[in-house]
Amino acid sequence: MTILRNLRFALNSAWQSFWRNLAVSLAAVVSITLILILAGVNLLVGHAFSQVLDGFRDKVSEMSINVADDTPLTSVYAFKQELQGDSRVATVRFVTKEEALAEFVRDPNNAVLSQQIQGNPLDAKLEVRVRSLNDVAAIDSMARQWPGVDPTDPTNYQGEFVTRMLQLSQWLGLAGIGLMAILVVVSVVIVMNTIRTAVYHRRKEIEVMKLVGATEWFVRGPFVLEGIMTGVIAAAIALSLLVISYPPAVSRFSADITFIPLTYDPTFISSLARDLLVGGALLGALGSYIGVRRFVRL
Amino acid sequence: MVLTPDFTARPVISFQHVWKRYPTGTEALRDVNLVVPEGDFVFLVGPSGAGKSTLVRLLIREEKPTKGKIFVEGIELGRMKRRQLPFYRRKVGLVFQDFKLLPNLTIYENVAFALRVHGQPDSFIRTRVAEALDTVGLSGKELTYPANLSGGEQQRVAIARALVHAPSMIIADEPTGNLDPATAWEIMQLFMRINARGATVVMATHNREIVDLLRRRVVAIDAGQIARDDRSGRYHDDSSKSQIRAQ
Repeated sequence: MTILRNLRFALNSAWQSFWRNLAVSLAAVVSITLILILAGVNLLVGHAFSQVLDGFRDKVSEMSINVADDTPLTSVYAFKQELQGDSRVATVRFVTKEEALAEFVRDPNNAVLSQQIQGNPLDAKLEVRVRSLNDVAAIDSMARQWPGVDPTDPTNYQGEFVTRMLQLSQWLGLAGIGLMAILVVVSVVIVMNTIRTAVYHRRKEIEVMKLVGATEWFVRGPFVLEGIMTGVIAAAIALSLLVISYPPAVSRFSADITFIPLTYDPTFISSLARDLLVGGALLGALGSYIGVRRFVRL
Repeated sequence: MVLTPDFTARPVISFQHVWKRYPTGTEALRDVNLVVPEGDFVFLVGPSGAGKSTLVRLLIREEKPTKGKIFVEGIELGRMKRRQLPFYRRKVGLVFQDFKLLPNLTIYENVAFALRVHGQPDSFIRTRVAEALDTVGLSGKELTYPANLSGGEQQRVAIARALVHAPSMIIADEPTGNLDPATAWEIMQLFMRINARGATVVMATHNREIVDLLRRRVVAIDAGQIARDDRSGRYHDDSSKSQIRAQ
C-alpha cells in the first residue's frame, strides 16, 4: 500500500511539475524530439539501406556453375550431391542446356537476341544459393576445381563486387552505430542539463523533502517519472513527424535516384515506434537520474 | 571535562568528545561533550560563528563529526548508513529561522508534506494535520498559501509540520530570528507546550530576553567549545557579570 501511495504521489508530483515548469519542460521535449528525429532518420535510412543491401546480397549469394558440354550427367549429379552435403550451401538446382535456353528466351530483355540464336550455345548449369555471403568465394573456388566445369566461363561469381558489398555493409553498420552512440551521449547530456535546471528551481522543495525524512528514491522518483514522461511525449511527436514524412521522402528519393531500389516498408513503423518510445523513455529517465543525483544525495 | 548536569532521566542525545573541522580548515567544534536527557529543554546560546549551527547540523546529520561520537536514542549518527538517515529524520521535528515552507503548496499541503513523504494514508494525514494546525492555532487557514501569512504564522506552520508526525525530539535553529518580540514570545510558548507534552527540545537562539525569561537549561558555546552548561541559566553568565560589576 505504501509503495502504491508513494507511486501515486510521484506521478502526481511529476505531472504537476511538468505543467508548473512548462517552459523548462517544453525545452526538454523539443531537445529530445529533435534528437529522436535524428535517431529515427538514422534508423529509417539504416533500414532502407539494409533493404537495398539485402536485395544485393540475395543476388550475389546465388551463383551459377557452368557445366562443360562433355561432362557426363553422373559426374554432374555427383557434384550436385557433394554441394548439397556442404553446410555452407542452402540450395542447388540443376538446369539443363534446354532449360537454360528456355529461360533465356522467356526473358523479355533477350527478345532480339533470342531470335538470332542458332542451336543452343548456352551451358547447362548448377544454380547454387550460398547461406552466407562470406562463403561464396570458397564455393566458387571449389567449383572451379571441379573437372566438369566449363573452363572458358566457369562461374558467374564477381569476387570484387561481393567484397565491396561486404565492406560497404560493414561500414554502414559501423557508421549507424557510431551515429547512434553520439546521439545517445548528446541527448543524455541535454536532458541531464535541462532536468538539472528544473531541479535547481526546486532545490528548496528537495531540501525540505530530505529534512522531513524522504528517502532518496522518494525524492528522485518524481523527477525520473517526469523525465520518462518528457521522453515519451517527445518520442510521440518525433514518431508522428517521421511517419508523416517517411512515404513522401521514399517516393521522392526513388524518383530522383532510380538506380537504388528504395521502397516504403510500412511494417518497419511498428519497430520504429517501439524503438523511439523505449529510447525516449530511457533517455528521459537516465537524464533525470543523473541530473537530480547531486541534489538528492543525503 | 563533561559539564552536563547529572540528570536522572534517560539520555536521548549524547555528544562524546566531538570535534568538527570543515574542509576549509575551520574548526567549528572542539571536544564537545553534552548529554541531553529525555524531555529536556535546552537553549544553545553563543555569539555568531561559535558553533551552534554546526552542533544542530550534526544533530540532524547534515554533517558528520570529524572526531568523537554522537548518539541519539542509542543510534550513533556518525556510523549511520545513508539509507537509514530518512528514518532517523522521521523521529525528529525540525524548525528553522527561514521556515522552509514550500510557497506553491497550501498550509494544509505544507504540513501534510511531512506525512506524505512517509507514505501515510490520506485519512491519517487529514486527522494529524488538523490536530497539528489546531495545536499551533491555525485551524481554518488550511487553504491559505504561505505568502499570505505573517512571519509568525509561517513559523507556526513550520512548527505544525515539525509536530505532525509526533516526534520525540524537536530541533530548532534560531526559530525566532525573523520575528518581532511579541510574536517570538508566542512561538516560544508553543515550544514550551510541546516540551510539556514530553518532547525533548534543543534550540539554538540569539534571543536573550526569551532565554532569560524562561530560565531553562542553557548550553553556552564559545569558539567551538562548551563554555557553560546551566540547568536553569540565563543568556549571559551571571558570575561573569558579577565579576564585571565587581571590577
